[in-house]
Amino acid sequence: MAKTKMQNLKMPVKEIKVLAYVLLLVFLALFLAGCYDAKEIDQEVYALVIGVDKGVNNAIRITFQVPTYKDGGQGGMGGGGGDGDNGTETGELDGTVVATVEAPSLIEAINILNATSNRMISLSHAKMLVFSEEYAREGVGRYIEPLARFREVRELMRVVVCRGKAEDFIKENKPVISQNIAKDIELSYLQSQNTGYFRDVFFTEFYIDLLSPYGQPTAIYAGVNEFDQMLDSEPGLSAPPKTYLDIKPGLIPRKGGNKKDLFGTAVFDGDRMVGSLNPEETRFFLMSIGEFERSYFTLEDQNKPGYIYVLEVTAVSKPRIKARIADGVPVIDLSLELDADLASIQSRINYEKSDLIEGFEAYLESYFQKGIKNTIEKTQKEFGTDIFQFGKKIAGNFRTIQEFEEYNWLKHYPEAEINVNVKVNVRRSGYFYETHHIFSTKLE
Amino acid sequence: MKKEQSIFAKALNLITYKKTSRPETFVLPETDEKGNMSQNSNSQDKGKGGQDSKTLTQNQDKQNLSGKAGNGADEQRVTGVGLQKRRIPKKPLSPSQVKAAKAAADSEKTDEVKSDYDSNLEAIKQTFHLPENKDLIIREFKIGKKRKAFLCYLDGMADKNIINEYVLSPLLNMPGSVLPEGKSSALDLENIIETNDVKKLKSINKVTAEILKGNTALYVDGLDYILTCESIGFEKRGVETPKSEAIVKGPQEGFSENLRTNISLLRRIIRNKDLVTEFFEIGEQSSTTVAVVYLQNILNPAILNEVRRRLQSIKTDFLLSVGMLEELIEDNPYSIVPTILTTERPDRAAANIMEGRVAIIVDGSPIALIVPVTINALMHSSEDAGLKWYYTTGLRFIRFVAFATAVLLPGFYLALTTFNHEMIPTDLLIAIAKAKENVPFPTIVEVLLMELGFELIREAGVRIPGIIGNTLGIIGALILGEAAVSANIVSPVLIIIVAATGLSNFAIPNYSLAFGVRVLRFYFILAGAFLGFYGLALAAVLLVLMLVNLKSFGIPFLSIVAPRSKKGKDIVIRWPLWLQESRPDFLNPQDRQRQPEITRQWAQEDPNKQVPAPSDSKE
Amino acid sequence: MVRIIKEGKFGFREAFALLTIMEITKIFYTSPHVIIKELGTAAWYATLISCLTSLLFFGLVYLLLKRFPGNDLYQVFEAATGPKLGKILILIFGVYFLYYAGVNMGEFTIILKVYSKRLTPTEILTVAFLFVLIAQAYVGLEGIARTAYVFFFFIMGGLLLIILLAIPAYELDYLKPWLGYGLDKTILIGILRSSAYDEIIVLAIIINSIHGLKNFKKVGITCLIFTGLTFSICLACILAAFQYTVASEHLSGMFQLSRIIYYSRFFQRVEAIFLFIWVFASLITVSLAFYMALSSYCRAFKINNHRPLLLPFAFLAFTVASWPDNVAEVLEIHVKLIRQYSFLILYFLPLLVLAWSLITGKKGGKASGENQNAKLENAGQGN
Repeated sequence: MAKTKMQNLKMPVKEIKVLAYVLLLVFLALFLAGCYDAKEIDQEVYALVIGVDKGVNNAIRITFQVPTYKDGGQGGMGGGGGDGDNGTETGELDGTVVATVEAPSLIEAINILNATSNRMISLSHAKMLVFSEEYAREGVGRYIEPLARFREVRELMRVVVCRGKAEDFIKENKPVISQNIAKDIELSYLQSQNTGYFRDVFFTEFYIDLLSPYGQPTAIYAGVNEFDQMLDSEPGLSAPPKTYLDIKPGLIPRKGGNKKDLFGTAVFDGDRMVGSLNPEETRFFLMSIGEFERSYFTLEDQNKPGYIYVLEVTAVSKPRIKARIADGVPVIDLSLELDADLASIQSRINYEKSDLIEGFEAYLESYFQKGIKNTIEKTQKEFGTDIFQFGKKIAGNFRTIQEFEEYNWLKHYPEAEINVNVKVNVRRSGYFYETHHIFSTKLE
Repeated sequence: MKKEQSIFAKALNLITYKKTSRPETFVLPETDEKGNMSQNSNSQDKGKGGQDSKTLTQNQDKQNLSGKAGNGADEQRVTGVGLQKRRIPKKPLSPSQVKAAKAAADSEKTDEVKSDYDSNLEAIKQTFHLPENKDLIIREFKIGKKRKAFLCYLDGMADKNIINEYVLSPLLNMPGSVLPEGKSSALDLENIIETNDVKKLKSINKVTAEILKGNTALYVDGLDYILTCESIGFEKRGVETPKSEAIVKGPQEGFSENLRTNISLLRRIIRNKDLVTEFFEIGEQSSTTVAVVYLQNILNPAILNEVRRRLQSIKTDFLLSVGMLEELIEDNPYSIVPTILTTERPDRAAANIMEGRVAIIVDGSPIALIVPVTINALMHSSEDAGLKWYYTTGLRFIRFVAFATAVLLPGFYLALTTFNHEMIPTDLLIAIAKAKENVPFPTIVEVLLMELGFELIREAGVRIPGIIGNTLGIIGALILGEAAVSANIVSPVLIIIVAATGLSNFAIPNYSLAFGVRVLRFYFILAGAFLGFYGLALAAVLLVLMLVNLKSFGIPFLSIVAPRSKKGKDIVIRWPLWLQESRPDFLNPQDRQRQPEITRQWAQEDPNKQVPAPSDSKE
Repeated sequence: MVRIIKEGKFGFREAFALLTIMEITKIFYTSPHVIIKELGTAAWYATLISCLTSLLFFGLVYLLLKRFPGNDLYQVFEAATGPKLGKILILIFGVYFLYYAGVNMGEFTIILKVYSKRLTPTEILTVAFLFVLIAQAYVGLEGIARTAYVFFFFIMGGLLLIILLAIPAYELDYLKPWLGYGLDKTILIGILRSSAYDEIIVLAIIINSIHGLKNFKKVGITCLIFTGLTFSICLACILAAFQYTVASEHLSGMFQLSRIIYYSRFFQRVEAIFLFIWVFASLITVSLAFYMALSSYCRAFKINNHRPLLLPFAFLAFTVASWPDNVAEVLEIHVKLIRQYSFLILYFLPLLVLAWSLITGKKGGKASGENQNAKLENAGQGN
């Protein structure tokens, strides 16, 4: 009976048996061997921030910040901040651990920490790479390369250069609002779009720009704010509005909250940091590379000194850049269009009205033009590095890569003649249209 | 193979190739794609197919004449069933066949109905093992107080009222004077018996078959035949709502165990003279009736022929249910996914018959098999045609998502958490790590634990009687999950994974496919656990490879994708009904057009046209 | 009765999907790396030159097949050059396909190991791969073609998704200077790298499974053009995202492209798409090549069942795959051989046969094809 049944089936029983054996063997083999790469999530810890400092005993000093798997983290709402608790001996701080090690290379540093801490350190979720300024000024190229080559490192982490030591900076990287540090870090980069005070630089961009013949890299410029810039007020003293923020990160007069400042742009020549742009310049820089989204600009009223008005400026489109080489001199024409919404006018002059608006726009245009031009000039004269990536446009003037590389645009950048043309449209004026003046006994 | 073989030779035997004979796979003959409008299209098939259908109709006619409950076999070929079965060339006989042959040889002498009262009575008694067997009732009497006669039936299978009123009473009340003289003179019994179906049978075996169905056999002394009168009447379940395919908007009738009822349910939906029912007897001991229902003017004759071929060639002793038949006629019984659609809904079976498929119904099972089907049919529900087309389409997408979830989610989770951590969003990763911190098991163990636990609950829920079963299943799952989490045996994320998987599994409309999915899930769990995404990808290729090579009665199971056939309008997206102009292309039905280009003709008419009520009194 | 192994039949779509996947798979490997290294910013249109060259070769092969209607390439070989030489030619093709399968598998494993499975031994990865490969080859050409058709949508969809999602990273100015390292070099390498398209010759071998010459032409041309455009777009995207400098450093440009996709803190890390489509594509490509090797062998020696040969051939492929000792050998010798010089086998041999048949005036019709088959059968019976 069974025999006839088997004959009706497609595969003879013998073959099935063989197949079953083979399958079993293969699965067994795979099962025994396949777990080579298997790692449980809790077997690893994930470094969210990597810091690089100059070493004392060894070439570099690497700092990792990893989140702990304890329930609830530590501090809860770190409302007041600035309690100066820079970690106990374990380096534990607000749901994370900060560990520092000296090593000849970054990967070696991971190795050492793996051996001494109890879990594998994985860089696959790194979100921030911090160089100390001192280290960055000596050249980061040697230690960037392994990061790009190493499989684990994410290309999507951001590159930060901090004033002072990277270790100290990372120690101040505490989630203040919540316990979720990863979210905190990611959201802090988002502020680039809202403020324009720093450029959101991905590691991959940094690395590309490093090798690029078209331009030079930049990084986020950061610092630790010790909250010591808030001077005690003296009676009778009143400060005029300071509209141009020429402040380095870490020196912002503020108190409370997170101590880290992402403020400004670190400018590189090749792999060496050569200087920095302040937040204002950074905004002009972002405008001219097309990464500016929106920001508030506070300007002093040209018609009423001591008074200010605030504009919300948004970029309309990417800037149009044209480049040519005329008589051996590279000429670059940059034109860009901005929209501005009036957010506040202290002087109550109705700039939004049609009789004033044209003059107002012209004034703004000249302001932005000057700002951008000054920024470019600063990079040309002071640093001599093309962080604006004008080389991308210049490259169109060369036929082959050889010609272009031979010309070496980066060297010729300071000679370039750059024309900036900005068009500003003042579109809206908030909830008000035409303001009324303030009545008081002292009517002017 | 010799007896004495070294182990090495045996081992070698295992891995070396041995020529095996494979049955030729049946492939639906290709037809011209262009000529899809008329029956003339399949010029290749036409000769064969046409002939087939012709003989078929003849058979059918004969059958209708000769009786309702008869099987397809000819009256003329009076050779016993056993004899026919013995004619199998070459293959060694199975024990059952030998037995059957022996029995046939034994009965050959006695098979013929004698014209002698006592020997016939004895033959019947012997056949049914009287007096041990108490089921067979033999009633002896005299017609017109003159002529000896007996009738016999199986107690419980026959309706006694029918026998009393329409068989016995006319015979007993017949005045003796009407009876012709002479012991062996002919008697016009057909005109005396008042049941609607009578048969004159000259073979004891056939009479036996009739009695087994519940009919009554009548023998009058002197005749050389036995008359069987229809008196089937046994207890049966009425038509109830389908259990596993409940829907809201649509008919609530389900098949029942009675074959006749089931066919009548189909006939009530398709009132068409071309709806043909063929009967096959399967099971040497049980003689289960299997009905094949199809629309003669639509079904591709090649498919019909294949169905007949498979059904007729099945040699087994016993056919209990539709599931057994399914396994016996499936193209590839090793396939993980079913290649035959089962439904307990007459409307669904009817809809499929209308598309050019075949419904196979087994007596005693409230389920119909639909062949051939493609993978999309397993994802459809009978409500689909009744809902608005975009509701249905949305529901189908949900079902496909459910399918993917049920198959892949645990494997995917496993691959993510044991191999590819970088692809989990950091917040989630840290959350998972935190939750997992106190769980002592590796993820694979957690997953298997929970999956097996879930399967356990399901299996137990089926056994636990009544309503408690379902409730206990849900509560059990909840409590077990909750407890497992708080006992740090599994991580909470996993509970979500397993729950979502289980839920998705229930969203799959086809019962057999849902089983297949459960198997596939473990397959992907293993693949994911071994090699992560790489393993999943390899496993997926293997699965697809298996699927594309599946056939359902000659139709590639993945016909909707590969090989490509003309795109239907009711595969994943159910297009509006008025756009579904043709029957599925891959079935090559005789008539592809199901409705004219313009279905809603009123849309083109004058909206103010006066239409009289449709009435019979047209003058 | 000797019958050439049953290969089944399939239509335009399956054939197109099959060949396109086989052609396109190399974009996931080191192909972009090599071509960008050599041609810089000109890579994206150099591949179009390769494509055009390939179209030319394909046309010539078409002419050859047209002289022998009803025959596939192997039958043409035997018809045009006699059974002995024909057999040798078929075997050369067979060996090449085996080598191709092995090297592709090796390249695949290397990249898989680099990007995803650093610790798993190569053997395990290869054996798992071979397991599915054998299953595919066991089922045969028709099964592979249908599987290819199913996965075609996944692969192309995934590729498209990666390309579209990476849009924010593109900087079209990185395609300048337009001429790369010089037009002469571009054209030369472009023509050489027509080898990267020469898998299309498989079509000529399986021509009887794809319903003849007309479909052959249609599939071939659409497939070449489609592949050319896809390559061109992919290369342009890689260049635009990474410049010629960094792009020439990456082992797998497309993988890197998928790694830089970033939309928000949740929508990132989508390499998983890449991993899947990449395995799918590799499996189909290698199994087709593997199957072609098997079938060539069977054709040359008139074997009517390829299945007993699966294990030995898998072993051979495994040997080829584990032949190179390091990445450099794979990239600089084997892959280069296949992508840059294989046209010497795949295109030139048929062309030589064409030339020979033109010289000797040999021509074949349907009838001769049948004769050929009859001859084959006779020969088989002789065996």
